[in-house]
Amino acid sequence: MLAPAILVLAAVSVIPFVSLIVMSFSHVRLLGGVTLTPAGLENWTTVFGDPATWASWLRTLEFFVLAVGSEMALGFGVALILNALRRSRTIVFSITLLPMFLAPITVGLLGNFLLDPTIGLYSWLLRSVGLLAPNHGLLGQRETSMVAIAALDAWEWTPLIALIILAGLTSINPSVLEAASLDGAGFTRTITSVVLPSIAPILLVALLVRSMDAIRYFDIVQITTGGGPASSTWMISQQLQQKVQATSLDGVTTLIGQASVIGITMIAFSTIIANLFVRLLSKRERDR
Amino acid sequence: MSRAHSPLAPRTAPGRAVLMALTAATLLAVTVPLVWMLITSMKPRSAILTALPTLDFTPTLVNFQALFTGDSSILPYIRNSVVASLGSTAIAVVLGCMAGYALSIWRSRAKAQLSFWIISTRMAPIAAVIVPLFVLFRSVGLIDSIAGLMLAYLTFNLPFAIWLMNAFFAEVPASLREAAQMDGCTPLQAFRRVVLPCAVPGVVATAVLCTVFSWNDYAFAVAFSGPASQTLPMSAGSLITQTGVDWGQLCAIGLVTVIPMMVLGLTVRRHLVTGLSLGAVTGE
Repeated sequence: MLAPAILVLAAVSVIPFVSLIVMSFSHVRLLGGVTLTPAGLENWTTVFGDPATWASWLRTLEFFVLAVGSEMALGFGVALILNALRRSRTIVFSITLLPMFLAPITVGLLGNFLLDPTIGLYSWLLRSVGLLAPNHGLLGQRETSMVAIAALDAWEWTPLIALIILAGLTSINPSVLEAASLDGAGFTRTITSVVLPSIAPILLVALLVRSMDAIRYFDIVQITTGGGPASSTWMISQQLQQKVQATSLDGVTTLIGQASVIGITMIAFSTIIANLFVRLLSKRERDR
Repeated sequence: MSRAHSPLAPRTAPGRAVLMALTAATLLAVTVPLVWMLITSMKPRSAILTALPTLDFTPTLVNFQALFTGDSSILPYIRNSVVASLGSTAIAVVLGCMAGYALSIWRSRAKAQLSFWIISTRMAPIAAVIVPLFVLFRSVGLIDSIAGLMLAYLTFNLPFAIWLMNAFFAEVPASLREAAQMDGCTPLQAFRRVVLPCAVPGVVATAVLCTVFSWNDYAFAVAFSGPASQTLPMSAGSLITQTGVDWGQLCAIGLVTVIPMMVLGLTVRRHLVTGLSLGAVTGE
């Protein structure tokens, strides 16, 4: 019963992965069919010697910290709020989940619209409280573009973190919390000494699940800033995308070999996260 | 639904007021963009392009009418999206159920390695997967075809379905299956008559999430599809490149795209946390 799925999965994952490795050591031509000529380590040295690659990784990290950091903090807060609600919890919870179902492209377009310098609702709100100069948009400024993109991402995905953390909060034994309050622990003390330690594994699950998706998707950046302005949101996916579209000076050879090198380093990164995730799961299963 | 009072909930009147305020702030943060999208979709163009955002307008359905009539109707896009995402989901769920069940009863050292491989496939960055698939699809003529898109969506839906069904099947007590086999069922019959019916909610949740993931895809569609296979998110993406963006129509497309997914998603709300945490967390 395992065989059919494994065969299909191998076809859609192993074959592309192997060809990715082969292409990373080749010059790839696409004119009249695909032809590969050996290139040795050329693609690897070019990519790793290119400051633009490193700069784009750095920006990926910046996005990662901004987006995932705020999602974890806000998600924990929203989960605490939902957990404290009683009769209204189901309805508030359902509404809170809605942004997750939007296509990332729609989130990007909506962001473009709300943050538009002239007609955007949020630009107008920010202008009215004096936080934004006229005819300025958050996405169009080098200083704020990354924050704006992280905020769009956080709007869509904080519900996911809240969903996971809420499951953790409801699984805490109420008598432990009662005991803490009988011992005179205040709200903050209860959170730091009882709640956080007991949901630590679930926080880690939320962090890992979100981390892998944060590097997976690039639709929002693609449709809002396209990596700009002045490369301020140019992340590793943009760097890869650019190599795919580019053709080298001779007009025949593509830069797909270099794109493959970037692809492999991205996969290496996500494999590390997958490894942590699986370890965490098997540890939890043993503990059960 | 009334619940036991959570020890983390405020008990004093000021505490409850703070909770109400925070709840209101959360709801505003979540809904303002969505409500603004809904309002804009019913605005005439003149009421959208105002420097001061306005609520003073006569609601109209012209934006929706424009989407469904004429040469630029989005109906073909919707058809492509439905076929590609449902096709990919069907294949992923059928194969995922079989493999997930096999994995859940398999006891072997190789299981850990296999599971790790499956989950890392799911986590592979889309940008990195597109490159080799693009080259492969070009050499076998799958560019600009719905079949190509279905196959591309399987790269994330199949490992997701296998992994998740494994988690849902693991929740079904082994004693049920053993009892069925004791009563003379073959392992396959035990699966079809006893284990699978127990896991139906899990199957539905898996199918819904696979549908949402592929329905919402933009990156694969941009890379692989052409005039004959454009999907709904692409119809939105293509509107923004033209001069003078038609925000009313864009908001209408956004709504048409998201409403079915919201409905599907909320119907499996109870299983969302298991699905989206890849089986690591179980809900209420």
